[in-house]
Amino acid sequence: MKVFATYNIKGGVGKTSTAVNLAYLAAREGRRTLLWDLDPQAAATYMFRVRPRVKGGGHALVTRRRPIEAALKATDFDNLDLLPADFSYRNMDLDLDDTKKRTRRLGQLLHSVADDYDVVFLDCPPSISLVSENVMHAADTLLVPLIPATLSLRTFDQLTRFVADSAGPRPDVVAFFSMADRRKRLHRDVIEAIPRDHAHTRVAETVIPALSIIEQMAERRTPVPVFAPNNRATRCYEQLWAEVRPS
Amino acid sequence: MVVARGGYGFATMIIPIRALRAGDEGRIDIGPIVSALSAHYMVVIASRQLVRRVRLDTFDRRLRRAGLTLEHQRTASGERVVVGRSDPVPTLVAPAKDLQWPAHADVLPAGPVREAIAGVAGIRALMVVSDEKRRMSLLELDNKDAKTVVRVELDEPVSAGAGPACLTVLTLRGYDEHGRRAERILIGLGLRAVEADEGRETVAGPPKLRVDRAVPASVLLTSALRDFSATMLTNLPGLLDDVDTEFLHDFRVAVRRTRSTLKLGRAALPEVMRTRWEPEFKWLGDLTTPVRDLDVYELALPTMEGWLMAADAADLEPLSRFLRRRRTSERRSLVRGLRSARFRRLVMEWEEQLTRLAETPEGTDGEHMSAARLADRSLSLAYRRVLRGGADISDDSPAEDLHRLRRRCKELRYALEVFAPVVDKGSRKRAVAQLKGLQDVLGRFQDTEVHRQALRGFAGELIVEGAPAEAMLAMGELIGHLDSDQDRARREFEGAFANFTRPSSQRLMHQIGGGR
Repeated sequence: MKVFATYNIKGGVGKTSTAVNLAYLAAREGRRTLLWDLDPQAAATYMFRVRPRVKGGGHALVTRRRPIEAALKATDFDNLDLLPADFSYRNMDLDLDDTKKRTRRLGQLLHSVADDYDVVFLDCPPSISLVSENVMHAADTLLVPLIPATLSLRTFDQLTRFVADSAGPRPDVVAFFSMADRRKRLHRDVIEAIPRDHAHTRVAETVIPALSIIEQMAERRTPVPVFAPNNRATRCYEQLWAEVRPS
Repeated sequence: MVVARGGYGFATMIIPIRALRAGDEGRIDIGPIVSALSAHYMVVIASRQLVRRVRLDTFDRRLRRAGLTLEHQRTASGERVVVGRSDPVPTLVAPAKDLQWPAHADVLPAGPVREAIAGVAGIRALMVVSDEKRRMSLLELDNKDAKTVVRVELDEPVSAGAGPACLTVLTLRGYDEHGRRAERILIGLGLRAVEADEGRETVAGPPKLRVDRAVPASVLLTSALRDFSATMLTNLPGLLDDVDTEFLHDFRVAVRRTRSTLKLGRAALPEVMRTRWEPEFKWLGDLTTPVRDLDVYELALPTMEGWLMAADAADLEPLSRFLRRRRTSERRSLVRGLRSARFRRLVMEWEEQLTRLAETPEGTDGEHMSAARLADRSLSLAYRRVLRGGADISDDSPAEDLHRLRRRCKELRYALEVFAPVVDKGSRKRAVAQLKGLQDVLGRFQDTEVHRQALRGFAGELIVEGAPAEAMLAMGELIGHLDSDQDRARREFEGAFANFTRPSSQRLMHQIGGGR
């Protein structure tokens, strides 16, 4: 089982769109895929038309009072399941803090479904918190969407330090530009500059452009490749998945 | 409300809970079903299309035995492979392209589908078990958020004479209650639930022969010979088409068993069996040997690659190419032999011979020798030959002596199998288990010997062909590994033989007739 986490300290950078589209593409290839919507805002859950509710809330999951399997929901797509968000996830830090091995609990929970899935995506809330520390331990690959702007890069530096400072095995970090507008000079400059400035970080070659079709996902409540299979946005997500998918 | 939705394939990541059929086994009318379900759900006709459903399994039904089903489904919009399981776990589905059958599991798309099948199918090819065109309709039952919460699949025959229409409720993970509710609604319409194993293909072996110990031995022998003949003929098409290596293997085992049975039954069978049929089946066995030997080397190559310490697996590529080339050439001879007039005559006249034998059971001395008497005599003889052969083996015995003993063990094993109907079942099983321990050791010894000799021979030919030095060095490493394996088997022989000849084993053989 390979675990990907779409993560950034900043919000509104395309984490959920990436998680939803890549999870769909992984499942479309025949991989048994799970998407865990860890964000109490429940955007990924909404996109799959699932009720954002987990019986007993995040507390029941974290304390194992309710097995993770009991909370899983099939999506409308082949091979793709969802572990929905719940508003109680806003308190997940506190729930995790009360457990033993508090920075590894999410990884332990995922371990219980390791035989059922080939790929797991964690759609993370935008923060640096105990949940983030858990994600560092649980994920094999951190997918970091970056808007090509100066402040984004500053945040990215914070994130790479946070990953480098975390104890134990660290995930691979793969950054990629998201919501990029090549008509903007600043965006072009930042995209060209980052491989030089972040020589030790892998930056995907694929750039996800700022396209209105991606915004339409929320309206259509379905992944982009389903309603716009020939659109440029679909091709970009397919390229990104081809760059990061397990062999 | 009923909506049509196109372009999306039918369900996966689902657990089929129950299949339903019309009470009279006839067609199922979708109209009343949609209208009943529409009272509770928004019913979406997700797809309605012709599907070519090719059901696959290995020749010996390994998937079926493991509780798996594999289907290659083709529609106008694409292909996919679907793995189902008898236990309630989700179905696995993967997109597929241009698959042709028969083929080995490695042609399946990489991922969970291949992983689920490859381990079970092993070296056997996947073959078409059934090929049917069906009309598949998928209804999706959506909740008020337009989320699909249950699916219903209608599977209808296209042509007359095909299986009856079937409706399957497919429960989606996390929405079990909707699956149960849909099932209740459908049963309320007069459909009946299909039992789990209803209509399922059964895999039965040949009926067990029940014979009295006093029946003529030739009756028992004829029955065994008929079984072996049937096995040969069943495996012949797969052997000729080279579907997988096991067709030839099973064919050869049947030939070997035939030869042993003829030998064991000499005292009870007519003279023609010895004068005509023993040489004929020897010819047939010899005809198949070269290809089987090459199959064994080729199948062993991946394991052998793992033995290499200094050399690289790629260094064995010249050997692998050589084996494939040689096999192609040997296979041509084999196929020529199996399409020859001699083989056709053998098949036809052997059948006639067995029919005559069944109609007029006779013995060499004009009297009927009973099955029990022949069993006692054959088992006793075969057992004593193993004891004598084993006692003669010392640390310095040449490999041929161990090989001869292995053949004697095989004869005893075949005798235990052929005379099974007149031997106590429990004692026979224990005797086979004890013999198997000795056979394993002798088998390992002989296999390593044959492999070593063959590798030496291949190396000589490869040098002439100008193969690189790396290939020779790698083959040298393999021979070294085989040497130490053979030494180990030789050291284990003494213990295995002592175990086989211990008093309790001798008593056991005496009980079943071998010790007399």
